[in-house]
Amino acid sequence: MNKEKLYDVVVIGGGPAGLAAALSADEKGASVLLIEREARLGGILKQCIHDGFGLVRFGKKMAGPEYAQTFIDKIEKSKVHISLLTFATSIEKCDDGVRLTLVNCDGVETIIAKSLVLSTGCRERTARQIAIHGTRPAGVYTAGSAQYYTNVLGYMPTKKCVILGSGDIGLIMARRLTLEGATVIGVYEAKPTPSGLTRNIHQCLHDFNIPLYTSQTVTRVFGKERLEAVEVTMVDENMCPIKGTSKIIECDSLILSVGLIPENELAESLNVACDNRTKGPVCDQNYMTMQDGIFVCGNALHVNDLVDYVSESGEGAGKSAAQYQNEKRRLVEINPDNSFLYVVPQRLNLEKPIDSVVMFFRSNIERGKTKLSVTVDDKEVYTKIYRALRPPEMERISIDFTKLPIDEKSVIKLSLKEVSK
Amino acid sequence: MNIVCIVCPNGCCIEVNRNGDQLEMSGNLCERGRKFVEAELTNPTRSLTTTMRSNSEIMPVIPVRTDGEIPKDMMFDVMAVINQGCVKVPVKCGDIVVKDILGTGCNMIATCSVNI
Amino acid sequence: MHIVDQLNRKLDARFGDKVRAQQEGDVVTLTGHVDTWMEKVEAGRMCASKQRSYYIVNDIVSEKEDILPMRVPPIKDTLLEGKHYDAVIIGAGIVGSAIARELARYNISILLLEKEHDVAMQASSRNDGMVHPGIDLKKGTQKQKYNKLGNEMYDKVCEELGVPFQRVGQYLGFVQKGAKYVLPLTPVHWHKMGVPCKYVSRKELLEKEPHLNKEVVCGLSFPSAGIVCPYNLTIAYAENAVDNGVKLSLDTAVLNMNVQNGVITSVVTNRGTIYPGVVINAAGVFSDEVAQMANDRFFSIHPRKGTNAILDKKAAYQVQTIASFLGTASTKTTHSKGGGVVSTIDGNLLIGPDAVETNDKEDYATTKESVASTFAKQGIASPLLKIPDIITYFTGVRAPTYEEDFVITKGRKTKNLVHAAGIQSPGLTAAPAIGVSVAKMAVELLGESKEVTLNKNFNPIRKAIPRTAELSIEERNQLIKQNPDYGVIVCRCEEVSRGEIIDALHRSVPCDTVDGVKRRVRPGMGRCQGGFCGPLVTGIIAKEKGISIDEVLKSGYGSELVYNPTKEALQNE
Repeated sequence: MNKEKLYDVVVIGGGPAGLAAALSADEKGASVLLIEREARLGGILKQCIHDGFGLVRFGKKMAGPEYAQTFIDKIEKSKVHISLLTFATSIEKCDDGVRLTLVNCDGVETIIAKSLVLSTGCRERTARQIAIHGTRPAGVYTAGSAQYYTNVLGYMPTKKCVILGSGDIGLIMARRLTLEGATVIGVYEAKPTPSGLTRNIHQCLHDFNIPLYTSQTVTRVFGKERLEAVEVTMVDENMCPIKGTSKIIECDSLILSVGLIPENELAESLNVACDNRTKGPVCDQNYMTMQDGIFVCGNALHVNDLVDYVSESGEGAGKSAAQYQNEKRRLVEINPDNSFLYVVPQRLNLEKPIDSVVMFFRSNIERGKTKLSVTVDDKEVYTKIYRALRPPEMERISIDFTKLPIDEKSVIKLSLKEVSK
Repeated sequence: MNIVCIVCPNGCCIEVNRNGDQLEMSGNLCERGRKFVEAELTNPTRSLTTTMRSNSEIMPVIPVRTDGEIPKDMMFDVMAVINQGCVKVPVKCGDIVVKDILGTGCNMIATCSVNI
Repeated sequence: MHIVDQLNRKLDARFGDKVRAQQEGDVVTLTGHVDTWMEKVEAGRMCASKQRSYYIVNDIVSEKEDILPMRVPPIKDTLLEGKHYDAVIIGAGIVGSAIARELARYNISILLLEKEHDVAMQASSRNDGMVHPGIDLKKGTQKQKYNKLGNEMYDKVCEELGVPFQRVGQYLGFVQKGAKYVLPLTPVHWHKMGVPCKYVSRKELLEKEPHLNKEVVCGLSFPSAGIVCPYNLTIAYAENAVDNGVKLSLDTAVLNMNVQNGVITSVVTNRGTIYPGVVINAAGVFSDEVAQMANDRFFSIHPRKGTNAILDKKAAYQVQTIASFLGTASTKTTHSKGGGVVSTIDGNLLIGPDAVETNDKEDYATTKESVASTFAKQGIASPLLKIPDIITYFTGVRAPTYEEDFVITKGRKTKNLVHAAGIQSPGLTAAPAIGVSVAKMAVELLGESKEVTLNKNFNPIRKAIPRTAELSIEERNQLIKQNPDYGVIVCRCEEVSRGEIIDALHRSVPCDTVDGVKRRVRPGMGRCQGGFCGPLVTGIIAKEKGISIDEVLKSGYGSELVYNPTKEALQNE
């Protein structure tokens, strides 16, 4: 057998997170291999042709492919090795780091990575996972599949549809399909409040007179070959359907935008600990998971609402992976109280700088004016007042933890408290 | 009247009151919100993103967008024009593919690069 | 007192004079009117003979909801008009396909008809994939006879047809305190039935299945139980049949038959009228209707739905074999051998099925109640089962007669007919044996008018599509060198290559749908359920079949995945 190729950093996934990670690892002088399953780089951004990307990073509104293109142009000029149409079938720990088995049209190859960055993105929750019953005709699509058919293949997945879930992709597809001539009967959301960004409710639904119905969900689909109708039912505060409130809506498609789940099957094969709340790996401020030398970024870590933050985490993970020297960590846990949906990172590594730790969080419910407080051993190190907090909107903060003495036994807490106006 | 600003992800809900010729606003976090509301009340505009047919071997359609904002009520008219057009490859991200579409002063530009 | 008088007395007590039983030979026919479908089924069941000494034909009309008519393919042409075949098999499920393959061992012309757009579209792709040891079958029944014979054939048949099969064994746990005193004596009973069986202590059971409910006291092990992918086996049977000269006609529904002097002279389909030597009724839930057309009806089918849930491979550690607790398999109350918790051949966990009577023979709709009730039931045996681990669920419809037994026999009134009817669980297990037996009956009938010789060119071996993800690195490398498409992974969850998908589209049983590809090589079977690979598979089908993307079907006619191109200019191409 040939000698296995050795890289300082291997990045799995060529979407926005992976592109940023590979570039930043390259800038730090590491030898980098970027593995992408598809024929073209860019990940899901390739099909996200709407604009609004890059406002934070570039200060202008860009379309998804355009945002990706700026990174692709850079990476093509860099020293990063790129392996397209390549699939990582398995990963295992080895003496030098991690051994990956890769498959592509040249065959099967094993390589060694001193450190590994997982930027595998996320997948969409399916109709079955949200317990939609009835028949299984053509015409039930996740918003991402509908987007692929429309924007990449150039075919209409529907003429007249119902959208379930008010996640951003669902809202954006409502506008997109309307512009291409389809009728969107309505967007239905089981929760009492919409899941997507407020501005998307306005520019995607209100602009086109598409109604949004909250506390209602699709409970059943009809049709043998092609979808013929859906049953929509009101739900109570526990999201349980209320008897006698169902109505049948004729349509040819049901498009689902009911949540994203980080893809971490590769991480799990390495026994990387995951956070039940993010559904992604537990990591420290340098994006290292609880397995030394394994880093994670982008939507594989937690589902972001802005690509700008995906790139930021990619850059952080890539840089840390390039600098990784198998050094020991001293970890302390970060404890958000139950007013958060989640907080990332979940650990601090005290062996690394803690003067500007970037943290992301989501509130568990909609809140008015709210104070965020971060304490170390009950002493405040950081506070911030928010005008309002909504679960769909992710917040970013940067905290200096050097203000107070901190060690592995310290107790770091985060809390949210509404304050009167 | 309340208007939600769509300029950035903050999505400020701006309260607008007419005081004679003056517009009084509150709730906007920045100046862009004021400008948005003013435009929204006189001549609402939107950027338009869509796809165009191409002669590429690998991409039957290519993503495009307006390089500025067009009048909101012209979106479907512009779509009708775009739907007839074709982007010739190779094309670079940012290349103009339709000039001054329907006299709006906006060009359609490609939002990705395609060689073949 | 005559049986029919006893039955009428029972019926009077329950339904007044609305329902009557009449007897002719060993067939009791029920007539009259009731309100609901369930009342009709109830009448049939209360009259059924436990000793199977007579058959029930249930002609009661249920006023409010009678049986729904068979869905017929929208095609109408003359593809088969005027054709003559020695044997015409109706239905390409596991039974019809097995019969076709076994008949191909003879020098006769064979036509296999299927009304759906693919084989294995109904009960054969909608069951739990269990190869039953035959735990609860009564001695002397057709079920028991064919289950035993079929089970024994599985290793050889699957080897020949290139179908993965594993004898994982079945474990039946008991929580009743006294069980450990009584249970060690019971294997004798199973041995008498020809079912290998062993008593297992609590310790042995929990060693084998450590995640079972710890309250288990002891159990029984049935080592001859196995698992197989039911549609994979059906497709394999059908492919091997076609490879050996059987003509398969999909989208072809039998609409009528002409019977003269006890002989079927022609079979009318939506694709023309066929002239058969012998007709084989393997029509599943429609087998009573086919019997009626053939003027040989002596049984009735009352369709019974069953729902199974499939769990993510991540949950598969919970059960290694087939496990259930006594009383949790649906056996006791419903005449169906519920699998319990099954570790499938593809590495998922399967939960179910339940049993619900229905008046729609093609009612594949799932309900929340079915999934919830199977979960609640199997959760007793396997307490770690979690609803969020479900990646999909599906419903199949069984084809029971009121006697709850298979009908495998030459025609009674009609001479050139063989029934393989009323096949429900354990039909999958029994199918290899039914195939052999029915083929033999058909050949005997044909032999009455002509000499039937053995087909010396019959090749029992079918080469399966390679599953690249399961090959060694060397084998995989070699395959990719031959065809680089085997190195391009299209389905990430199940690790399916483009090469495998293209293979599936060019086999001897035609396949041109997304679901057809999914059943053959599994793209879309994983946790994303085709969210990522669905459009890619659609694209590959369009390219390989030389059609446009908006012509690609999900499943049957009318199931196009997309409509027109978004851009008019695309359309003019």
